[in-house]
Amino acid sequence: MANFNIDADKNLTYDAIVIGSGISGGWAAKELCEAGLKTLVLERGRIVEHVVDYPTMTLDPWEHELRGGLTPEQKAKHPKGGRSGFIGAMNEHFHANDLENPYTEVKPFLWVRAHQMGGRSLLWGKQTYRWSDLDFEANAKDGHGVDWPIRYKDLESWYTHVEKFAGISGEALGLPQLPDSHFLPPMELNCVEKHVKERIEKDFKGRNMIIGRVAHLTEPLNGRGKCQYRNRCDRGCPYGAYFSSNAVTLPAAHATGNLTIRPFSIVQSVVYDEKKGKASGVRIIDAETSEEIVYTAKIVFVNASTLSTTQILLNSTSNRFPNGMGNDSGELGHNLMDHTYRVGAMGTVDGFEDQYYKGRRPNGIYIPRYVNLKDGPQSDNFVRGFGFQGGGGRAGWGAGSNQEDFGGNFKDGLMKPGPWEFFITGFSECLPYHENQVYLNKEVLDKWGQPTLSIDAEWKANELALNDQARKDAKEMLERAGLKDIMEFDNKHEMGFGIHEMGTARMGRDPKTSVLNGTNQVHGCANVFVTDGACMTSSSCVNPSLTYMALTARAANHAVSELKKMNL
Amino acid sequence: MNRRDALKKTALAFGAAAGTPTLLSLLQACAQTDRVTWTPQFLNEDQARFISAFVDFLLPKTETPGGLDVKADVFIDLMYSKTYDEAAQKQVVADIEKFNADCKAKFGKVFAELSQEDKTACFKDQEANSPKFAPKVWGTGVGPQEPVGFYRSLKSTVLWAYFSSEEIGKNVLSYDPIPGEFRGCMPLSEVGNTWSL
Repeated sequence: MANFNIDADKNLTYDAIVIGSGISGGWAAKELCEAGLKTLVLERGRIVEHVVDYPTMTLDPWEHELRGGLTPEQKAKHPKGGRSGFIGAMNEHFHANDLENPYTEVKPFLWVRAHQMGGRSLLWGKQTYRWSDLDFEANAKDGHGVDWPIRYKDLESWYTHVEKFAGISGEALGLPQLPDSHFLPPMELNCVEKHVKERIEKDFKGRNMIIGRVAHLTEPLNGRGKCQYRNRCDRGCPYGAYFSSNAVTLPAAHATGNLTIRPFSIVQSVVYDEKKGKASGVRIIDAETSEEIVYTAKIVFVNASTLSTTQILLNSTSNRFPNGMGNDSGELGHNLMDHTYRVGAMGTVDGFEDQYYKGRRPNGIYIPRYVNLKDGPQSDNFVRGFGFQGGGGRAGWGAGSNQEDFGGNFKDGLMKPGPWEFFITGFSECLPYHENQVYLNKEVLDKWGQPTLSIDAEWKANELALNDQARKDAKEMLERAGLKDIMEFDNKHEMGFGIHEMGTARMGRDPKTSVLNGTNQVHGCANVFVTDGACMTSSSCVNPSLTYMALTARAANHAVSELKKMNL
Repeated sequence: MNRRDALKKTALAFGAAAGTPTLLSLLQACAQTDRVTWTPQFLNEDQARFISAFVDFLLPKTETPGGLDVKADVFIDLMYSKTYDEAAQKQVVADIEKFNADCKAKFGKVFAELSQEDKTACFKDQEANSPKFAPKVWGTGVGPQEPVGFYRSLKSTVLWAYFSSEEIGKNVLSYDPIPGEFRGCMPLSEVGNTWSL
């Protein structure tokens, strides 16, 4: 599968250009290439070839000189991304350099970026859930934001389409608020998770605790191997067991012979042709030589990741679009959303001291939303809802740091697993607020002299009320499940910590209030498509990546059909 | 410990799997109690002696290797050298000096030279007065966190240096780099020690 065609400069004209190679860009490339379109993928960073470019994928701690520790030079590159707590020596090479790519926090906002082929698809959490009409109808029903131009039935077959190829493991339960995917066999809960599940489902009518639905293979698929339970996903998986662009969509696109991927290509703007009334191509800056090049194509997919996509559109000015491409409504850059992060409870579980488990499962439990459902209890304090992720396991030697003990017995005691611990942490839906926004900052330029983003967004009363309820509910559920030493927590993280940025170029029914139409085309520039998180009209409380995949496949197939009809 | 005992214990702990280099280093470690037998990259000799003594007292050799056997002290010096920036390096040196100065004030000697009883008194005092780490969920702490201070921070570093070593990770804890499957429930007796990875 090796040897991507990177010789883009031989030919400056393509049928399609895809900006970005992460989760949604990879899907756009696959669908367009398989439809026969000569497709150029523009990637800001370097090529990361599946397996070949995963240098740390099998390293044990002692095989790395600093055992996973970062040097001061490495740390200095991540003053912002480092706040996530996720950057270590085994994955540092997959995180963007904050110094070369500054952004301005008007209010605190964590923006985690991954600038290489595959983008954040190499690093993501892989939780994959379908959205439902509870989500697509929410704006219309309670009046926040604008109505989604689509409903679940518009996406249903596209969910199935992407799931069959991506490989999603999970258990079918028929929950209306969390539709079942096309599933590979589910992963197993451990003893304590099974115990807590029984107690919660018995004590709380309408609540379910399920194994996480994840983009990990539990059976081989299309030549990819199944999960080996090493839990070293963020280094790149040698088996291709989790979904990434590198292991799944880009190799499929490459296999058609229609894919060219150009690394080190920083997109400056989408070029608008005033005479033809549509986009003619994309202007890039070569990250290594600073050379400017314009590539032309019939259609352009902008999949640079939510905020970068909007940054490109804001920077794509013309006589027709003086305030940014597709910004007739003034909504471009607005309605930024994320999921709240790190609010919940934890505790210990007695009675399973003689039990253990085998394998490091890259997955946990999920408690789907149960508040403000159609036929369930309604809250007076907030609209929308929250779900929980979490999991259980036995404490390891790290617990020794807090034990008031030392010496030989202390050391030997740490060789045995400690108490069973269990936690749940909530993810609350964020409403779309016009004033939560990003805009171009021409005072702060990046390494290549381009304007950067200022981010001005914050949680408001509804999100804080949801979080408050999530914390109380978490504690109550763990109490009723019989846990001990329960600690509730609310870290009050700023926006961005959920790493689920959504909105800023929303879909809608009315060009006066939205940036994209119901098939993800830019209002006023129909041959430009946006199908990453920027397109989202609301945020649900459910992880969004699977929905990006489905929206992308749907829009790409629409684009191909419109091209055939000569409509683009 | 005399050499004969060391040989016996080593044989017990490692069985036939014990390689010659490990055995040699164990014997060498026994012979050295009052001077540093390795060349620190960052610490000076007195500071290195403090780290070695701290490691040895926190995690002494028993049926399983001690902290010095797996060179936890050598790794900590390397970590200070290569992962700490200048400000953090200055801080850790100051912390070591202060720890020793406090020992001198209270017990009359620096930590490495204290009797077992005085070392015990010193650690008990530190345990009682050092704040705890807040629990972590997915890489970030939850709940309020006050600074844990030098003692608990170093204790945590020593545990990391010890348990992330090849000897402990591969031969003492239960090592299974490629489990291949997930079993949610199984008797602990079938696994034995905690999983190393």
